Amino acid sequence: MSKKTTEKSYFDRVHTWGRISSITALCALLMFPVGICLYLNVWPSLSGVMSGLLKLIPLYWSLAVVEVLFYTPMLGAGGTYLSFVTGNITNLKLPCAISAMEGAKVKANSEEGEVISTIAIATSSIVTTLVMAIGVLVFRPFLDDFTNNELLKPAFAQVLPALFGALGAGYFIKHWKISIVPILVMVIILFFAPTMGASTLLFPGIIASVVGAFAMWKLKIVK
Amino acid sequence: MDFKESTGLYLIASGVIIFVLAQSIFFLVKALKQGKALGIDKSKLRNAITSSALFTVPSALSILATVIALAPSLGLVIPWVRLSVIGNLMYETTAAENAMEGLGHVGGTAVEVTDPAVFAGIAWVMTLGICFSLVILPFVAKPLHKKMLSLGKKDEAKEETGEKKEKKSDGGIAGFIDLLTPAVFIGLIGAFIARAIAGAGKPEIFGDGAGVLSVITLVVAVVVSLIFEVVAKKCKLTWLEPFVMPIGMIVAMVVAVIMYNVLPPELAIMEWRG
Repeated sequence: MSKKTTEKSYFDRVHTWGRISSITALCALLMFPVGICLYLNVWPSLSGVMSGLLKLIPLYWSLAVVEVLFYTPMLGAGGTYLSFVTGNITNLKLPCAISAMEGAKVKANSEEGEVISTIAIATSSIVTTLVMAIGVLVFRPFLDDFTNNELLKPAFAQVLPALFGALGAGYFIKHWKISIVPILVMVIILFFAPTMGASTLLFPGIIASVVGAFAMWKLKIVK
Repeated sequence: MDFKESTGLYLIASGVIIFVLAQSIFFLVKALKQGKALGIDKSKLRNAITSSALFTVPSALSILATVIALAPSLGLVIPWVRLSVIGNLMYETTAAENAMEGLGHVGGTAVEVTDPAVFAGIAWVMTLGICFSLVILPFVAKPLHKKMLSLGKKDEAKEETGEKKEKKSDGGIAGFIDLLTPAVFIGLIGAFIARAIAGAGKPEIFGDGAGVLSVITLVVAVVVSLIFEVVAKKCKLTWLEPFVMPIGMIVAMVVAVIMYNVLPPELAIMEWRG
C-alpha cells in the first residue's frame, strides 16, 4: 500500500516538474532569439520570418504532435519531458532509454522502467550537452582559420549532400522500396522547376513518399 | 570580430545551455532517489548511468560534427543552441535552409550569413518552428502515461495468473503506421538529395546547385555510410554504429576537397542547372 502511494505521488510529482520544466524551457528557448536581437540591436523583417515559418510550421508542428503521441508512451514520464527539451529523440534518447531498460531487464510501462528510462535520458542529455559545449569552446578559436581556408571551401559548399547522403543511407538501406518513388518525383519536379528550394520541395516529396509507401503497403510490396 | 562569434552571443547561448543542464541534473537526482525508494539494486542504477554515458558519446560527437559543418555559414552559436535544445540533425538543417530562403539569403548554407538581421531572423524561424512539442506536452503527457501504466499493470496481472497474451492483428491500418515515420523522413531527406542531383542555384555562387561535385559528394556519403553500416552489422561492432553517419559525412567532404583539386577546373565547378 505504501509502495503504491509512493509511486502515485512520484508520478504526480514528475508530471508537475515536467510541466514546469517544459514551460520554463519554452521561455528560455524563446529568450534566445530575443537575446540575439537585443544584443545585436537588429530586428528581422516580420514578412521574412513569416515567409520562413509558413513553410515550416505545417510540417514541423504536425510532426511535433505525432512525435509526442508516438514517443511519450515509450520514454517514461521524466524521460519524455527531458527528451522533448533536449531533442535528438530518434537518433539518441529513445535508443539510449531502450538499451538501458533492456540492460536493467525492466519494462517500459513499469515503475522500474520509468526510473531507469529517466536516468538514461538524463545522463544522455548531460553528456550530450557537455560534449557539445566543450567541443564548441575548443573549436571556437580555430573557426576563422577554418572558415576562411580556401582548401576547405569546396567541402563546406557541399555540406548538405554530405550530411543528407550520410543521414539518408540508413533509411535507404532499410526502406529502399519506398525511397525510389519520392526521390524520382522530386527529381522530375526539379526538371520543371529547377530553382525550387529544398524547403519547398520537401512537401511534394513527403506527400509522394507517404502515398507511395501506402500504395506499396496496400499492394503488399512492403510490410 | 565577426558578429556571429561575439562573446555576448556565447553568453546568451550559455544561459540556455546551463538551464538545460540543470534540468537534466534535477531529473537525474530525482530518478535516482526514486530508484532507491523502490529498492532497485544500486548496481543497476550505476550501470544505467555508465552505459547511457558511453552510448551517448559517439552520437554526441556526430551532433558536434554537424554543428561544426554548419559553422562557416551560421557561426557556432545558433547550431550549438538549436542542436542542444529540442533540435535534431535533420530538422535543424532543414529549418536553417527554410529560414534562409524566407529571409532572402541567397545560396543557403553554402554561403556565409553576413547580415545580422538575417542571422536574427534565422534564429527566430528555427526556434519557433521547432518549439511546438513543448507547447502540447504539458497537456498530453500525463493522460498518456496513466494509460500506459494501467496497461502495464494489466499485463503484469495477466502474467501472474498465467493468462496468455493475445497477439494483436496486423491486418488493420496499424501496420502502415510503422511505415509512416520512415516515409516522412525519406521525403524530407529526399528533398536535399534531389536538389544535389537536379537543383539549380545562382550562376554566380559555387556549390548551391547540382553539379559534378554535389553528385560525387552525395554518392560517396551514401556509399561510405552503407559500407560502414554493413560492416558494423555483420561484424557486430555496435560501438561503430553511432559513428557511421559522421564518418560518411566527413569522408564525403574530404573527397569533395580532393576532387575539387584533382579534376580539371571547368569540370570541378560544373553545375549543370546553373
